[in-house]
Amino acid sequence: MVSTFDSQPGDPQPGAGAAPRLRVGRWRAAGLAAVLIAYLAATAYVAHTDLGLQSLVLVAAVFGILAISLDLVAGMLGLYSLGQGGFFGIGAYATTILANDYGWNVFGLLALVLVATGLIGMAVGAMSLRVSGLYFAITTFIFTLVLTVLATDMVTVTGGLQGLLGPAFPDFPARLEWLGTPLVWCIMLALLACLGLVWNIRHSPLYPILLSIRDAEPFAEAAGARTATIKVGVFGVSAAMAGGAGWLFSFLGVVSPSQFDWSVSLNVLVMVLIGGINTSIGPVVGAMFVSMFPNVVNINPWLQEIVYGALSILAITLLPDGVVGIARRALARRAGGIAAAADAASAEALPAAPDTTASSASPKDSEIIVECRGIEFGYGLGPKVLRNVDLAVRRGHIHGLIGPNGSGKSTLANVISGRLTPHAGEVRLKGTRVDGMPASSRSRLGLRRTFQAAQLVKELTPTQNVMVGLFDRVPRIVGRAPLWPMLASGRRDLAAMQHRASEALSLVGAADWTARQVADVPHGIEQLTQLASVCVAGPDIIVLDEPATGLSAKEVRHLAAILANLKTQGVTMIIIEHQTRFLFPLCDRVTVLNAGEVILTGSADEVRADPVVRQVYLGE
Amino acid sequence: MLQFVLSGVAIGSIYGLIGMALAISFYVTRIINFAQGQLMMVTVMVTAELASSGYPVWLAALAGLACSCIVGILSYVIAVRPILLSNRFSFGWLVSTLGFAVIVENAAAYIWGPTSQAFPPILNGISLPIGGAVLTAQQLLAIVTAAVLAAGFEVVRRYTLFGKLGMATAADPEMASAIGANTTVVAIVAFAVSAVYAGIAGLLIGPSTFANPYLGDTFGTYGFIAMMIGGGTERPIAAMFGGLLLGVCAEGANALINSQASDWFPFIVLVLILIVSPKGLFSTSNPLFRPRRAAVTRG
Repeated sequence: MVSTFDSQPGDPQPGAGAAPRLRVGRWRAAGLAAVLIAYLAATAYVAHTDLGLQSLVLVAAVFGILAISLDLVAGMLGLYSLGQGGFFGIGAYATTILANDYGWNVFGLLALVLVATGLIGMAVGAMSLRVSGLYFAITTFIFTLVLTVLATDMVTVTGGLQGLLGPAFPDFPARLEWLGTPLVWCIMLALLACLGLVWNIRHSPLYPILLSIRDAEPFAEAAGARTATIKVGVFGVSAAMAGGAGWLFSFLGVVSPSQFDWSVSLNVLVMVLIGGINTSIGPVVGAMFVSMFPNVVNINPWLQEIVYGALSILAITLLPDGVVGIARRALARRAGGIAAAADAASAEALPAAPDTTASSASPKDSEIIVECRGIEFGYGLGPKVLRNVDLAVRRGHIHGLIGPNGSGKSTLANVISGRLTPHAGEVRLKGTRVDGMPASSRSRLGLRRTFQAAQLVKELTPTQNVMVGLFDRVPRIVGRAPLWPMLASGRRDLAAMQHRASEALSLVGAADWTARQVADVPHGIEQLTQLASVCVAGPDIIVLDEPATGLSAKEVRHLAAILANLKTQGVTMIIIEHQTRFLFPLCDRVTVLNAGEVILTGSADEVRADPVVRQVYLGE
Repeated sequence: MLQFVLSGVAIGSIYGLIGMALAISFYVTRIINFAQGQLMMVTVMVTAELASSGYPVWLAALAGLACSCIVGILSYVIAVRPILLSNRFSFGWLVSTLGFAVIVENAAAYIWGPTSQAFPPILNGISLPIGGAVLTAQQLLAIVTAAVLAAGFEVVRRYTLFGKLGMATAADPEMASAIGANTTVVAIVAFAVSAVYAGIAGLLIGPSTFANPYLGDTFGTYGFIAMMIGGGTERPIAAMFGGLLLGVCAEGANALINSQASDWFPFIVLVLILIVSPKGLFSTSNPLFRPRRAAVTRG
């Protein structure tokens, strides 16, 4: 099923660059098909082999699913869940109890377990996401702890520490008996499905968005992603996957509390980290290693535990990227050239996408598009940062915002774009009142922004970062992501998004850097990538927070040209900047802030001539 | 009533000490040392071993504390420092400190065997009637010691340069080393102190639990809960309050619900507290105690 990814041999590929891409695609499809056949053959072998090897492989496979479920949230979203053991336990206990005591159908139970653990996961996620980072790990840890305690103490239902004997897995119908043990097929196909799901997400445009939520949440929000909803949703999927693993596990023998306690959750994390976090097969490799370790190293159990502890410390200190991470980096170093060439070819091959910037009607001078009235804001208990600030920006204007450090410029930008909610006053975009609306909704009204310190995903290329900017311009990215590469519409949209992203990058003059990771590009290119990720969506209003910081004189001139060009296309801009020599020639109006108050709004010349401004800002 | 409050406070001060030990190492390095319970166990095992070979109890106890101090420093050098050096924000320490705990626990089981051994009774034999209740002198000793250690730490943290150095190291190690602090020394001292706190907790509870290599699991978990209930991640002394609350809840549940209730009741309390205030009851982010915005705006 996975082999349907990428170009089918018959896929029409317009343009001159189609041939190399087709060849790469064909090799890839052939490789995938070979891997798939080998996987099924191995499954068939295991299905006919002795019970000892079977249980070894099956336990490893179930833990593989568990590790994939953790990697989904830890690797892609940075949410180190220690609740996987808990969801795993819920799945196993629910299946065992309902099948044994109430005689429910086990396949009906699978659906029930998936839905129930998914919902519980979303509830736990919604609760834990009030706190971030370490506290998320801790609250999910406590979730597992509490479930273990319940499983141990509710002896009448769960059998206490002794546990319960799991249900039997139904046999194949007579026609299919030649396939061997049915449970082997069930577990191995489930593992394959989970691998496929994660692999698909990794090859969909959702992937850069998830990573941007992980590394640069304000950026993802400004691009229109409802980050909290996405986090809770993905955590729900991960929980359902862990619950499904529990369903599978219940058929393998006895279900008891020690199999789901917090040390299991931590062991799953060990698997993910040893195998390679945020890689497709790393978690499975780690799961194989950890679950097979006691069977392979057969010594005194205490010594064996000591060796295991020592190995996990060594692995985490010496191989922080895990086995697969190291291997991938070594491979990437060799294959980097080829991939880049293929990328360039594919970009050439695509039909022209619609213009990246909105070409709206000529600016009407009268219309006010962004309006702030009486904005009041202060951080925590400190003094107010904005006091009764009024700002009106007309459509098609470039509006400068200047003032000494600490005068509230960036705070005002955050209030306009939705990072901060004002304590009083109102913000209107195109006449709609938006204060109280999250940043992601303002993005849908055509507002985009850049950040003073570029908010980008360092491990992705500029092109992938710019694709994040297209999030709310492409329909149903989240819904289609689990099947993305298999859908014709998915392949088409991804190609179009890549094309538009690289076009936007060449428009801002960063075309030479598209194939590198953002971590390896100079600061100026980061700024330009930010700008491209904003422009690619064709917004009506752009808020730029110190776009010229860290740029060379030449780059600043180039930036001025880009902004002037955007203005001719009817884009309204609010620019915060200290370099008045760059800013003033561009601006229609300039507002000067000092100590949280507007001291003047006028044309650049008026501002330059004003004695108060000269005193507070220009320092004369 | 008085009985379970008093014995709850006594066992709670043990939980609180381990919670504080966790909080002290967290306070400087922003990591939770999963081997903390095992540090307590090391003191208990070494003390039991030496006392049973005929050394005086005070000498055995000192040697036990010294051993857990060494193991605590080793846990920092082996399991924490390499991870934080490569990436201060990575979660690799979850794995490495757990790995360290596994090593220490199983090494102890390998050396001494998995069964419990005798522990010197210290003051456990003396009982003191207080009102209608009875405490052993050992329990009273636990309460007093915990109070002294908690207050002592708070004084050091607030009023000495070293305490401020700890805060600075926690907030931003690079900045702290830029102003001349040796962050490695600060962290090593913090781990040593945390090991001593955990070890003292072990000496206080040893007479009633006896010496067992798996002690660290249970008490490490309760110490962790104490820290989370209290909000020790912000102020280590809050972990002590959390421990006392936990102890009273557990003993109260045993006395008022049934004799098994202390197994699950504290967890319900923990969940309820975290729902209300995710960073702990005595943390600054607790919505119930949050400092209010001043009614009169300044300026």
